[in-house]
Amino acid sequence: MSAVDVAQVLYLLLAALGLSLAVSWAGLPVLGGGAFLAVGAYGTALLGPGGEHWPLGLAVLASVGLGAAVGFVVAVGASRLDGPPLALATWALAWLVQRLLLAYPGTFGGADGLTRPAPAHLVTRTFGLDLELSPAVHVGIALVCCGLVVLALLRAARGPGGLDLAALREGPEIAATLGVPVARRRRAVLALAGGVIAFAGAGNALLLGLVVPSDVSPLVSLQLFVAVLLGGTARWWGPVLGVAVLTALPPVADALARAADVDVERSRGVLTAVLLLAVVVLRGPVGRRFSRPGPAPGLAAAAPDAGSGIPGRTVLAVEDVHVTYDGVVALAGAHIDLRAGEVHALVGPNGSGKTTLLKQLARHPQAVRTPQHTVVMPHLAADRQVAVGARGGARSRHAVLRHLLATPSSRIPDSRVPDALAATGLGHVVGADPQRLTSGDQRLLQVARAVATGAPALLLDEPAAGMTGDERARLRAVLRHLAHRGTAVLLVEHDMRLVGEVADRVTVLHQGRVLACGTPDQVRSDPAVRRAYLGTLGA
Amino acid sequence: MDVGVLLQVVLAGLSTGAVLGLVGLGFSLVAGTSRVLPFAHGDVVVAAVFTGVLVVLGRTPVAQDLAGPESVAFIGLVLLAGAALSGLVALVVVRPYRDRPLGWVAGGVAAGLLMRAVLGLALPGQAYAVPDPLHLDALSSDALLHLPGGTTLPVRTLGVLVLGLVVGIAAEELLVRGRFGRSLRAVADDPDAATLCGIDPGRVLLLAFLAAGVLAGLAGLLDAPSHAVSVDDGVVLGLEGIAAAVLGGLGSLRGALLGGLALGVAQQVAVHAGGAALQDVVPLGVLVLLLALRPQGLRRRQRQSR
Repeated sequence: MSAVDVAQVLYLLLAALGLSLAVSWAGLPVLGGGAFLAVGAYGTALLGPGGEHWPLGLAVLASVGLGAAVGFVVAVGASRLDGPPLALATWALAWLVQRLLLAYPGTFGGADGLTRPAPAHLVTRTFGLDLELSPAVHVGIALVCCGLVVLALLRAARGPGGLDLAALREGPEIAATLGVPVARRRRAVLALAGGVIAFAGAGNALLLGLVVPSDVSPLVSLQLFVAVLLGGTARWWGPVLGVAVLTALPPVADALARAADVDVERSRGVLTAVLLLAVVVLRGPVGRRFSRPGPAPGLAAAAPDAGSGIPGRTVLAVEDVHVTYDGVVALAGAHIDLRAGEVHALVGPNGSGKTTLLKQLARHPQAVRTPQHTVVMPHLAADRQVAVGARGGARSRHAVLRHLLATPSSRIPDSRVPDALAATGLGHVVGADPQRLTSGDQRLLQVARAVATGAPALLLDEPAAGMTGDERARLRAVLRHLAHRGTAVLLVEHDMRLVGEVADRVTVLHQGRVLACGTPDQVRSDPAVRRAYLGTLGA
Repeated sequence: MDVGVLLQVVLAGLSTGAVLGLVGLGFSLVAGTSRVLPFAHGDVVVAAVFTGVLVVLGRTPVAQDLAGPESVAFIGLVLLAGAALSGLVALVVVRPYRDRPLGWVAGGVAAGLLMRAVLGLALPGQAYAVPDPLHLDALSSDALLHLPGGTTLPVRTLGVLVLGLVVGIAAEELLVRGRFGRSLRAVADDPDAATLCGIDPGRVLLLAFLAAGVLAGLAGLLDAPSHAVSVDDGVVLGLEGIAAAVLGGLGSLRGALLGGLALGVAQQVAVHAGGAALQDVVPLGVLVLLLALRPQGLRRRQRQSR
């Protein structure tokens, strides 16, 4: 293997590492890796020596910036798209770029591409430096870049960055309710991935002195995707394994093509397709063998403790709320106020507007809500899920960067995860596989995630649903404890006995209006409430 | 612009658009029923056509007129191949992974790639002329349509437009109304509730893929004879069909047809103004932009979720 070959493989690895950040760490299925390679390669060729004659370093930098910008723009759309449409958009992008390259031969050189003098020279007059970018230098550059990316990934994975990525991957919707800025993180991840892949494309173009569309084709995009998928989820060595397999693919394909007397491109296509199918089929069973829910990482900088609210102070209040869905009136002038240190129950018949009111309250930054149905992030250890909540609630600036650079402030241990676990009686679930928890523990885990955010107001949508009598007793104790710590708890509940035992105040909703509000006893004896709601029970 | 040229561009655009609409309709049908995006749909179109070519004409096809029985066999084969390929995709790479999007996304892309690669092994040429089993050229004596101002248009352009629209509207009637349409909409709306009503979502998914496959075959039959076709054309044709479907609001069959017509006209106008290089760039660009900026399509109506 010549130095050129080695450097090429390493640049491919760098591209795969960049793509893996989006695909296997952040769970964003990007099928258009080739488009970012094209931006880097053609950008450098067009702007740098032989093109617009910009200084080489500037040309590469501009191309990388352009790659990052493309990633950012894709992510702007992706913030509203779930996985499959994002895959579709990036797949279309790969083909669009390919067709653009062929549509304008005057600029991009058509199918023959662009040739540039090789080896290129990196010249800086300021420092009197003239570095010839020989294949050996390229090997060095690519190796250093790959190493830096791997080290950064390894380090970030153990800190807040790893939590952000896990949140993006395992449950973006639930992470968003916990305060993780999902859209912003997706933009950052895709911009970073786009930049890294574009750099790999630029390096490869300079190495070969040639850029051709077939090197950045949709087939290459797919091969990169396969390489990243091969290694499974969130493992730094995944792309290494994938690129090793990819490197072995052309010789095998060529040998097969010769043996069967068919076109080389076709046999590569068949092999890529078979490999992709194999990865899809084997992913589940193989992944399960190697899955490992790890311990929660320490978090940087503790946030102000929200449990210290002054009892009785109003934390959150809304008045005269009107909501209509498609002409159906859900809320017609409802009002509610939540006070620190108080469990406030929201009751009413089905369709009376409880969940709608809860959603309205959840818009407030002071509040965090738990969903009605159990939402488990299946591949994330229980305490790490709680850590996601803690991370979502911690609005410390540049936490990922500070952790990456190991600044002193990033070494303060954070107590919010054990604290939230203790407050919800879940001390025993540390490191547990969430799918093996009892359904009661899973319900409490949702509460723990919300508690860990440190939000002054917790909005719990039927947390007792599906709980046994013993579990209800545990929940009751947890709710009283949270109120005692000064949290304002809103409890949407149907079980009137639980409400009577745990609530300080009760608001009764009926047809989108507040029917009554007061202590459980006052409400129970209210004639209007009896007529509309409880009367049917007492009859 | 001269009236004749304008008419030429618009009619050609509507004709391409009808084909794109049919491709998009199949895509929208599957997407609306199951929230699965059939990534291999465009490859099914092209693969269905070439299956017919391989069986009827052999490995070294030459542009030749098909006789009556051959035409019927060709049409039947292409429709059957479309349904079979689409059904196979549904069974092998979609159904096992219904709840794991990464599985059916990667599986669909791989299935398309496999179709292209395997067809390419059998048909190594750059592009092929596909005969027209419907004999649309016979609509006029010189196979041309004479427009005012001395401009002409192949008469099959008009035939494709009319047939495409008829098939598209008929498909919507058939698939939206009626018993099958009801179960389709039920599954699309709430698979769990549909199951409780005795509808098997897996079966409906397969049926949607089969219907989409027949539509893909029809689209291929209308489109392929108009120009030289390569086995690799499927992906981009599929993406253009998807652009039509997204333009009209994913899940709406009428929207897909209208989106196709709009996209076809936009494409032909761009080609007329900026050269043939823009032919694929325009629809692909529209798709990327739409997905990034307005994934719900251009039409206003959008049901609010709970």
